[in-house]
Amino acid sequence: MVAKREDARVAAAKIDARRLFNTALLYLTVAVVSLIIVFPVYWMMISTFQPSKYILRFPPPLLPQELYFAQFAELFSEHPIAKWLRNSFLIAAMTMLLCMALSVLGAFALSNLRWPGRNLFGLFLLVTQMLPEVLILIPLYILYRRLNMLNSIPSLALIDAAFILPICIWILKGVFDNVPPEVLDASVVDGCTELGALWRIVLPLSAPGLAAVAVVAFFFAWNEYLYAGIMLSSGEFMPASVGLSTLKAIAQTPVEQYMAAGLVFSVLPVLFYLVMQKYIVSGLTAGAVKG
Amino acid sequence: MSERVDADGLAGPPRGVKAHPLLRRRYLLPFALVLPIVLYEGLLIVYPIVQGIFGSFTRIELASSAATTWVGWDNYERMFSDPAFWKVIRVTLLFTGLVIVVALTVGLLTALLFNRPFRFRPFARGMLMMPWAIPEVPVVMIFIWILSPQFGVVNILARMLPGVTKNPQWLQVPELAMGWMVLISSWKAFPFYSLVILAALQAIPQELYESARVDGANRLQLFWNITFPGIGSTLELLVVLAAIFSFKQFTIIFLMTGGGPSGTTETIVIRIFNTAFRFYDYSYATALGVAGFVVSLAVALVFIMMQVRRAGDSA
Repeated sequence: MVAKREDARVAAAKIDARRLFNTALLYLTVAVVSLIIVFPVYWMMISTFQPSKYILRFPPPLLPQELYFAQFAELFSEHPIAKWLRNSFLIAAMTMLLCMALSVLGAFALSNLRWPGRNLFGLFLLVTQMLPEVLILIPLYILYRRLNMLNSIPSLALIDAAFILPICIWILKGVFDNVPPEVLDASVVDGCTELGALWRIVLPLSAPGLAAVAVVAFFFAWNEYLYAGIMLSSGEFMPASVGLSTLKAIAQTPVEQYMAAGLVFSVLPVLFYLVMQKYIVSGLTAGAVKG
Repeated sequence: MSERVDADGLAGPPRGVKAHPLLRRRYLLPFALVLPIVLYEGLLIVYPIVQGIFGSFTRIELASSAATTWVGWDNYERMFSDPAFWKVIRVTLLFTGLVIVVALTVGLLTALLFNRPFRFRPFARGMLMMPWAIPEVPVVMIFIWILSPQFGVVNILARMLPGVTKNPQWLQVPELAMGWMVLISSWKAFPFYSLVILAALQAIPQELYESARVDGANRLQLFWNITFPGIGSTLELLVVLAAIFSFKQFTIIFLMTGGGPSGTTETIVIRIFNTAFRFYDYSYATALGVAGFVVSLAVALVFIMMQVRRAGDSA
């Protein structure tokens, strides 16, 4: 009897040891994988926040040796980065407003109304979102040149909005789908028009979806490089994505300023994307996956 | 596509009922709503595509403002007989294929890992999403610095390999340059796939695992018989999406190698850009664009057919 209990205890201890080993292995794997993934970001921080005398040697120290903050002031005084950021902000804000207005209409028609051609409209949006941007760059460039629309911030926002609008509509459609049809029915029976129902019922229920559309549209335009570089070739309208790509590390721009510029440009999109990731994913997969 | 909306009460006029004026107006509403969108996308996306197809049969002289002349199939004949074009196709296939494999493999493995319960998991998942959230231009800046032959931190790792005594010129050696383009693009893209796979993993009912475990299934059997079938259709979809996204990849390659060394990382989107804006050969670039359009349209159609099939399955 006693021996049997002893056996059970040994077996339990064995299982415990194995579980402990598995847990330790899990944590170790998670730590190593996370480290590899995040290392480039860590390296950007390291290179930003210490004076370049530590970073301009080989092999560079893997841990920060000294903190340093003057690079931000130097960056803003030595490069027109404030102007670049202002231009980026203007392009992004215009793109965002245009997308929010149009995507509400499109998503409502796609989600809450039934009409012949609804599926066709959905497919049309899908295809436009999948084409590489560079394919229509040349015809659009020629068109803009003829219409004298090059080097204008609103003209670029028009293009950015056209590219991101389909994804915005898909994101918002997914959110509108969650509004219970009974609620809409009831409001229509009560004498509300469809547009009234959209305004009074669907939109207030979809605030997070609208925020997601705003984030996606804003930062698509904020991050966009290809069209910004071609359509805004004059320095006056240059947005930050294009401006940053003209900086040359070491040769012209000290490394800590160069990396600080990348950091300043990334802070907002990273924060907002992480908060809104669920909605963005559902839009990019055209609702195939509910994030 | 969700079918449940079809059941809602806001539908058009019920069949057999004589259309009341109000209902008729209601019937027109969706068209009125989407008209501005269709016009807008039509003007800025569809019209340029049509223009591009038309332009690929002409000779465009932007600089000299000479009249555009019709040249028929000349641009296409030149394209198909141009060995450089076939090299671009090979590079595009290689790059796209490798990014699909690497990004999806890493995405799947990290999703499986981050699906296990552990402390700080929300925090760790936030870290995992980081590369996806950083814009492409700063990503390029980070890696230009990391790969610097003089001071780049990656050289510490390279020096650990036997036989490496000096820092490699990472972006000057064709194989290394292609390898880095694939790695950086995958690093940027995989968190998205990981997130989508995580969502699919969480949709698998836990009871399946429990009853299989009761039946004595081991971990590998659980994976092959429950997990893999459970996320299979999502993986299929992601292969197509990854093909579309990596085919579109422009900024990272353009800013890091510009297609070099000697064209070994020049995918078709880079080639189109270089032809138009470096060599100012707009008509030939437009013909290349039409070739790219045909390819991406074909892949997009595959994606759409899969979507339609999924909608059919779930209905």
